[in-house]
This record gives sequence, structure tokens and C-alpha cells, in this order.
Amino acid sequence: MSILETKELSHDFKGLWALRNVGLQVKEGERHAIIGPNGAGKTTLFNVITGTYVPSKGNVFFKGNDVTKAKPNEMVRLGMGRSFQITSTFSRLTAFENIRMAVLSKRGIRFNLFKQVDKMNDVTEETDAILKRINLDGERDIPASALSYGKSRSLEISMALATDPDIVMLDEPTAGMSRDETHTAVELVRRLTEGKTTVIIEHDMDVVFSLADRITVLHHGEILAVGTPGEIEKNQEVKDAYLGEMEV
Amino acid sequence: MMNKTTKWILWSVLLVFLIIYPLVFGIYYTNVFVTFAIAALYAVAIQMLLGFTGFLSFGHAMYFGVGAYGTAIALVHIKGLPLIVSVLFGFASALLLALVMAPLVVRLSVTAFAMIHMAFGMLAYTLALKLRNITGGEDGIGAFPIPPLRIPGVFSIDMTDPTNFYYFAMVILGVSIWILWFVTKTPFGCLMVGIRDNANRIDYLGFKLPQTKAVLYLLVGGFAGIAGSIFALFQNLISAMELYIMHSFIQIMQIMVGGIGSFFGPILGAGVFAVLEELTSRYTQRVELVIGLILILVIMYFPTGLIGMYHHFKTRFFTRQAD
Amino acid sequence: MDATTAMYVAQGLHGLAYGMILFLVASGLTLIFGMMGILTLAHAAFFMLSAYFSYQVMQMTQNFWLALLIAPVVAGIVGVLCERFLIRRVHVMGHIGELILTVGISLVILDAVKAIWSTDSLYVDIPECLQGLVSIVGMEYPIYRLFIIGLALLVLIFMALILYKTRLGMIVRAAVSDADMVNALGINVPLVFMLVFGVGTWMAGVAGVAIAPILTVFPGLADQMGMDAYIIVVVGGFGSLSGAFLVSIIFGLLSSYGVQFVSQLAPILMFIFMAIVLVIKPVGIFGERE
Ligand SMILES: Nc1ncnc2c1ncn2[C@@H]1O[C@H](COP(=O)(O)OP(=O)(O)OP(=O)(O)O)[C@@H](O)[C@H]1O
Ligand SMILES: [Mg+2]
Repeated sequence: MSILETKELSHDFKGLWALRNVGLQVKEGERHAIIGPNGAGKTTLFNVITGTYVPSKGNVFFKGNDVTKAKPNEMVRLGMGRSFQITSTFSRLTAFENIRMAVLSKRGIRFNLFKQVDKMNDVTEETDAILKRINLDGERDIPASALSYGKSRSLEISMALATDPDIVMLDEPTAGMSRDETHTAVELVRRLTEGKTTVIIEHDMDVVFSLADRITVLHHGEILAVGTPGEIEKNQEVKDAYLGEMEV
Repeated sequence: MMNKTTKWILWSVLLVFLIIYPLVFGIYYTNVFVTFAIAALYAVAIQMLLGFTGFLSFGHAMYFGVGAYGTAIALVHIKGLPLIVSVLFGFASALLLALVMAPLVVRLSVTAFAMIHMAFGMLAYTLALKLRNITGGEDGIGAFPIPPLRIPGVFSIDMTDPTNFYYFAMVILGVSIWILWFVTKTPFGCLMVGIRDNANRIDYLGFKLPQTKAVLYLLVGGFAGIAGSIFALFQNLISAMELYIMHSFIQIMQIMVGGIGSFFGPILGAGVFAVLEELTSRYTQRVELVIGLILILVIMYFPTGLIGMYHHFKTRFFTRQAD
Repeated sequence: MDATTAMYVAQGLHGLAYGMILFLVASGLTLIFGMMGILTLAHAAFFMLSAYFSYQVMQMTQNFWLALLIAPVVAGIVGVLCERFLIRRVHVMGHIGELILTVGISLVILDAVKAIWSTDSLYVDIPECLQGLVSIVGMEYPIYRLFIIGLALLVLIFMALILYKTRLGMIVRAAVSDADMVNALGINVPLVFMLVFGVGTWMAGVAGVAIAPILTVFPGLADQMGMDAYIIVVVGGFGSLSGAFLVSIIFGLLSSYGVQFVSQLAPILMFIFMAIVLVIKPVGIFGERE
């Protein structure tokens, strides 16, 4: 059963078709990687699915509902979490406050003007537990903007997960990381997304092949291939696409 | 961090200070203090919008003004209206205006928000001038009855007495400021700073941005209205002048001078302005020039205001000790 | 042609002239914002300042053309100085910093103007050759209004030519879309920006001189014009010249026909128009999502 599915999804940026007839299928419980050269349309696909843009054509289905026109907050409420390629945390808030924001949302505390948040012990406990799980308990009270790059990426990833979504969309969680940092981040992603439906955009092939159950390859806004890591590794078209890109 | 005892001592000292102030300083300075306290509530309300949530408004004088007109007009037309109800009239009028404006403005960008408020602020000013039979135009509405504060059969306190009014104003303004402070400490307060830092992420955490902003907008409008209402009672006069765009700028300046993003900054700023106004009006007519120059200097050299400077020096002082 | 039609046409012409003036101010504003990302509230103050300068030049020389030449340039220079020494430094703080700073500048200019020229309305004469009416196909038009329309068109065509047909324009447009790249090519980007700011201010200055004989020169001039210009930029969409043009003309016509039909409520028409547009499209008619 596909938990997330797109049908003939196309998106047009003033004449530039960043997506063309994309039919993505994500099965419940799998880790699904999306790969493709720079500018292939991966982030745009995420943006269209998660509600940043309404697609020019086609539809998005999530848990069987047509969510083509749903806004980001509606998608989150339906059970979708998302991280960004460019870190998007609350820069002036501490690591703790960042995560707490997600915890509040998860618990449906949205318009509470009558109780001090510091006095909500369960919220504090849950937030601290999450910080511990992502090894940020040492940086609890440091503003997000002052975290090391690796740590801020961890924060970014766990914000997507802290709302306890049914599906999590990670846009290049290892973007801009050193080899070591990448390793730590990949382990974090592996640990946090255990058993959770995950869609992950990733450039590093080693990472992709070690993490993903299935892979969709995007090229010039179109799906080039879908398959298991083994199938994709052997696919000549995919190799050509990547090689062709390198020659340019 | 302050511990609980010092905190209580500080609050008690403040309370005692507020209680004995009129007895020590006399009527003139008591009135100066009420003016300052009204400005403080107004500035704190605007700070909720500007410093906490990141929305600049150049037109909130309309909420202050509508609050003031609401109270004044109610007192002119309704005989025997209790004092508290007249304040509620001001609050409700401002709230009503905010309710009408909210759907219009909550989806705007920061920039458009600022501009639109300037435009509507000017419109409100023009209307206050033109709708003479309701607002009294340039002359405004004055000399309306100020009801005593009373519970029938229990007590009745004359509010035309400056000292009595001082205590009344302190309670209303103090409670209002406390309510706003409390809101900043709630989950809703977290949302506000979240919107300021990264509205997109707030959306992507499942919070409804427009609705959240709308609630905040009502809150700010309503409390600016209370400030206006107390102002009308205090002056026993409200005219279109109070809606002039200048009165939207002054609060922003108080916030900038005190410290943008800090809750107590605007109160400090309002205090500085109260003193400055006392001094400048003695020496010069050029209030605009002075304010303009202060704005330029603050934004160029102390963009974090007095509170920011305090933190700056505190850290420096402590790091030096640590060496 | 009967009297009613003539009246409509005359009102339309007034609206068009006012709209063109609005557009001169608004296009400078949207140029500065759209190209440099600087949000300035001092624009209207420069517009007013130029009107005062023109009054001063007229006082000294009795020559309107000299005023038209000198006043906007002086206003532009004041603008450039403000940009160089003040605005540029708070640019990193974002729009709130710019808005507050430019409000400060406006207040200082406003008070300086009051101190130098008092708060009275000052009268500037229409030059003799532009006085009176001219008749075209059986209709009488006030020459000065036609002159304003022509002047505005001239300035705008001139601007468009520079922007799209010259090397300088190319550099400006490139600097706007990728400042670092152009910087790397050895072109002084801050200088280019300063120039754009100066030109934008100069355009407002031209409008200030042109409007002076019609509205007279007084400290409230900045409020009256500035407000309209800012609304136009918001409603048209930040940075959109075509949006600014469309809305300027609509506002011009609204205000002249509005005075005709609903007199007292004329200014409110614009606000209603603004409200409708922003409810439907919060980023303005030609605005793009921020
Ligand atoms: N907001 C936008 N407006 C116009 N064009 C856009 C926009 N966003 C993306 N594009 C274009 O759409 C194409 C796809 O971009 P996208 O960001 O989806 O690629 P990507 O696969 O995520 O690349 P990368 O690996 O670099 O992150 C690119 O050509 C890009 O320039
Ligand atoms: Mg991408």
C-alpha cells in the first residue's frame, strides 16, 4: 500500500518545468531515497508534496486523501514531517526551545494563553528526552545559531521527527557536512527513522545504498528509474545521467 | 538568575514605591507618572507585535484612539455608566476594529504590514477629523462625565481626584501589563517568537500562521485600546490629534530605545521618553527634530537599545572577572 | 461636444496628470526597493524637500526651468548622502532597521523645513508659457496639466532607455540580480546602488517641482503624496514598475472622479481599493510571493 503517492505531478516556474509527470510511490514503512543530479527537481518535488507550492498539474495523495492543495500546516497535522536542505531552525531560540516548539505542536497545544509553558512538566520532560536522544542535551540552552554545523543539522532533522509524523521527508540531511559529520548524521537518521516511513533526498551514493529500501531517480524533473539499490546500481540510464552531468 | 526571595523583595519594593509615589511627589509628578504608565502599556502592547513577533506597525495609534473614543463616546451618551464598563467600552471598540482588520492584514509580509498600517492609520486620522458629529473633529470630545468608582451601597471613590485616579490607573494598567507579560510565558508566547524567527518553520510544525497572528493582533489591539481608554479618562479629552501618525512612531521609538525584543524594554523606553519630554518641552519646540535624531542615533549605534547595552556591559564585566 | 462630456474629459485629464506625478514618486520608490531591496520611508520627504528647493530657486531667479533643473538634483544629492552615510549601514539589520531609520530622517527633514521656511503654504507660479488653456479637437485643456503628463512621460522613457539600452543599465540590472558576481568583475556595486538611490530620489524630486504650483508648498505635502505613493507600491506589488504604473493611474483617476462624485469621501476610495486588492492578493497586483 502506498502511503504517499503523486500522479502526473508537474510544476512550472515561469516556463521552466522543474517537475514533469512525476509519479512517485512511497510504501508504508519503507525508506525511500530520491536521488538525482543538482537541479533535478528533488527539492521542488518536496515543496509540492509538503504544500509550499500547489503543483501546476497533477495530484498528491497522502493516506488515500487528495492533498494537492493542502498547506504545510495541514500536511503536518495529517502526519507529515519535513526537514530542509538549508537549515531552517529558530535561530535565536535555544536548542531546547526549538524542540519544544515541535513537542507543543505534537501535543496539540497551539492556542494556550493560560498556562506558563515552563510549568508544563510533561512537555519539558519529553523535550529533554528528545535532546538526549540526539545528543544535544549538552547544548540544551545554546541558541540554535551558535550550534556547530553538525549539531544544527541534527536539530533540523529532529524537528521534523519531533511531531511524531507517520511519514518524514528529509531533504539532504547531510548537506554541507564533512565526512565525519556525515557519518554521525547518517547514524542519527538511521536510528531515528527506524520503522518509520521515510523519504530522503541524498547525494552521497554510499549513504543512499546503505540506508534506502527503494530509490527513485529524478533527472530534469522526470523519473528516470525506480528500484531497489541493487537495481539502480546496475541501471545504465542512471549512470549516463550522472556521468552526462559531470561532463557538462 | 534571580532567586525567588530577591524577586519577591523587588516586587514588594516596586509595589510600595507605586503606593507612596503620589504622597511623596505631589500632583504634578503624579500626573506625569500616569502619562508614563499609559505610554508603557501602549508600548508593551506594540512590543508584542514588533519585538516578539517581528511585525512593525506604523498605525497602531488607531487602536489607541478608538479605545479612547469608545470610552469617551460611551460616557457622553450613556447616563450613569459605571467606570469599569466605560473602560470595557474602549477595550471592546478597539477589539472590534482589530477583528475587522485582522483578516486583511494577517497574511501580509512584514513590509506590507507596516505600510498598510500607516495607510489605515492615516485614514483613521482623516475620519476622526472629518466625522465631526461623532468625534468632534479637531476639538475632539471633552468634558464628558468621569464616573466615580463604586459598588452601590459599599463604596464610591471620586475619580476626578488625581490621586484616586492614579491608583485606579495603576491597577488597570498594571494588570494589563501583567497579562501581556504572562502571555509571553505561555505556549502562545513561544509561537510568537517562533514566528519572528522563522515563520515558515512554524507553518511546517503544523501551526496555523494566519490564525495565530490574528489572535495576537486582537490582543495587541485590545490592550492598546485599554491604554487609550485610560488616556481619555485621564485627560477627560480625546481629539483627532491622538490619532496622528506621530503617535504611532513614538511607541516604536520607545521600544527601540528601551530594547527591541525584551518585555521590559518598552517600559524603560517610555520612562526615558517621559523624562526627555519633560526636559525638551522646557527648552525647545522641535520635538520632531529631537525624536528624529534619537531614532537615527539609536538605530545606527545602539540597535539593541538600553536593555541590549545593559546585557552587553554585563557580559563584558563578567568575562573580565573570569580572566 | 457637450458640457458633461467635456467635464468628464477634463476630470480625466486631471486624474491622469495626478496619476503620472504619483507614478514618478512611486516608480522611484519601487526602483529603490525592487533593485536594492531598500525600504525607505524618507522618499516622500525628499519629494517635499525638492518642492521647497524649487520654491527657493524661484524666489532667487524667477526661473521655473532653472528650478526644475536644480531642485531635483539637489534633493538627489541629499538622498545620496543619506544613503551613503546612514541607510547603507543599517541595511544588514533588515527592513525594520531601514524603516525606522528613514522615519528618523523624514522627521529631521520635516522639522528642518519648518524651521527654515515656516509652516505656511508657499506659492509657486506656473511659468507664463505654460499658463492658460490650449484647445485640441474642440476641447480646452489646461496647458500645465498636459505639461506634467509630458514631463513625467519624458522622465520615464529616459529612465527606461538608460535601464534597458545602455551599458550602465545593464550593469545596474546585473548588480541587482547578482551583486557578488558583478563585484567580482571589478565593478563598484555600492557605487552603482548609490547611483540608483540618487536617481530614484531625483525622480521624486522632479515630481515635487512639478506639483508645487498646483498644490502649493507646505510641510504636509510629504504626508499627502507620500501616503499615496506608498500605498501604490504596496498595492501594485513591491518592485513592480508595471504594477506601480497601473495603480498610479487608477489612483489618479479615482481621486479626480472621486472628488467629483463623492467629494468628502474621495480619499477613502483608495483605501477601499487597497483593501479589496490585498484581501484577494496580499502581495499586490503584480507582486510575487516573498
Ligand atoms: N522558486 C523557484 N523559482 C524558479 N525556479 C526554481 C525555484 N526553485 C527551484 N527552481 C529551479 O527548478 C529546478 C529544480 O530545482 P530543485 O531545487 O528542485 O533541484 P534539486 O534537485 O533539489 O537540486 P539540488 O541537488 O541542488 O538541491 C532548478 O533548475 C531550479 O533552478
Ligand atoms: Mg535540493
